[in-house]
Amino acid sequence: MPPRPKKFICTFCRNEQSYIDYKNSKLLSGFITYYRSMQSRFHTGVCLKHQKQLANAIKKSRIMALLPFVRYEKKK
Amino acid sequence: MLQKYEILAIIDSSLDEKKAEQQAQESVNKRIQEAGGKITFEDFWGARGFAYKIGKQTWGYYFCAQFELESKEMLELKRDLNIDGKIIRFLISKLDNHSPAPMTHTEIETQWTSQEKERKISEMDSKKAKRTNVPKKEVIVEDDEEETTKKSVEKESLKKMEKKTEPKKDIIDRKLDEILEDSSLDL
Repeated sequence: MPPRPKKFICTFCRNEQSYIDYKNSKLLSGFITYYRSMQSRFHTGVCLKHQKQLANAIKKSRIMALLPFVRYEKKK
Repeated sequence: MLQKYEILAIIDSSLDEKKAEQQAQESVNKRIQEAGGKITFEDFWGARGFAYKIGKQTWGYYFCAQFELESKEMLELKRDLNIDGKIIRFLISKLDNHSPAPMTHTEIETQWTSQEKERKISEMDSKKAKRTNVPKKEVIVEDDEEETTKKSVEKESLKKMEKKTEPKKDIIDRKLDEILEDSSLDL
């Protein structure tokens, strides 16, 4: 059997980035769904090592109100 | 034991921008220095909106600092910051030896935008490469035409084979009929 081709490459591995900053809210907002919950590793293609760091960074930035916990909809 | 820390604090939005900067110096930096710590880096972000409401407030001033402090003094510092009315919220995190050099908020954003641009350019290049690969497929189609001619030849040969086999069957049938019609056998 030939080796299975890799669909995704981890974005943090490609940039050789070992530390994910919780203050960089623009970067983290790319790894969040429409309802502002965390995006799974299956869809984003992040490796396991960086997904664990990313989850901690998102949780920290939520505490400091840089990212929302849930989607806020304005009343009409 | 000396350890490196990082603090991010939110200051009340009822103050002006200049007063808020002074307030951060008073409530954060002075307390650390009194406890025997040393501030290595500080950065005042300015006004910024919250992602959700915190006690009827929609925006505040952000202040980030890195410092070295004895780990015993940490409890007292946290207690003092909790009592302080002008600080809405704060978060203290440990720093390792592996953590990168401190950056201001504007530097982080500019670095992110440059990385994002590079990523988009690489995506466009990959899409262009896919488009250029299309004519190669046409070459394969020409090969297919040759295969189709081969297939057609095979089909014709099969038809000929069928034609050859048909008369044999007829001969067998005739013989069977002859045998059946023979009265001498008494079937």
